[in-house]
Amino acid sequence: MARKPKPPVERVGRDKFCINLDLEEVDLIHRLMTELRQLLNEPPGDDGRLRRLFPVAYHDPGDRELDEEYQRLMHDELLQSRLKGLDLVDDFMAGGLRHQRLTESDLLAFVQALNSLRLVLGTILDVSEDHDFGEVADDHPLVGEYQLYDFLSWVLDWSVRALQG
Amino acid sequence: MVDRPDVDETIAADTPWIVLVWNDPINLMSYVTFVFQKLFGYSLQKATELMLDVHQKGRAVVSNGTREKAELDVFRLHEHGLWATMQRDDQ
Repeated sequence: MARKPKPPVERVGRDKFCINLDLEEVDLIHRLMTELRQLLNEPPGDDGRLRRLFPVAYHDPGDRELDEEYQRLMHDELLQSRLKGLDLVDDFMAGGLRHQRLTESDLLAFVQALNSLRLVLGTILDVSEDHDFGEVADDHPLVGEYQLYDFLSWVLDWSVRALQG
Repeated sequence: MVDRPDVDETIAADTPWIVLVWNDPINLMSYVTFVFQKLFGYSLQKATELMLDVHQKGRAVVSNGTREKAELDVFRLHEHGLWATMQRDDQ
């Protein structure tokens, strides 16, 4: 009888979680998070890839000035919050994530960083509501990115389940 | 002589604000539900209902209050990657 594979992320105690990913998968996520940090640290500009990480707060056209003021005051705080989260994730990923015990705070930071990666990747891929990843052809120029997006979604979903469990 | 308050400004300051979360094709439904639970302390049922409103109706009001409170809620939702905006509760 085949043994049931372990979920990629699971709760193993009241404030303990375990990551069961392969070493290559952990390295991949770590590398992507390093790239995200580099992207965030680039001089401010109109980088469309980061659009979803820094959205408007006031969407009513009549509140444009309020939004400008909000962005002026909060953009840097949001940036620092993202970088701080990545620092925390980097601390426990640097030692190798596999079979390491994480606290809830660790996993929450991991989940937010994973979701940021998906937002950037999803923006690059221009993911739409009715997009079917199963239909991406093997020779599609971005097939690797689609697979990556799918993989991150899988890890994120299991991480959320572990937190809710 | 005491200045009279500007009536329009007083009304504007007192107008409650609502925080909306908009549907987007990237955020996972499970993740959105979890964020609502975590940030607002909603039950799983309430958070799921709100998530389904976002998904099916395109948006949902997830909190309300003063402008300061709405800005804080929007900020926390943005920290978690959700597409959130705020507006006066008179539209």
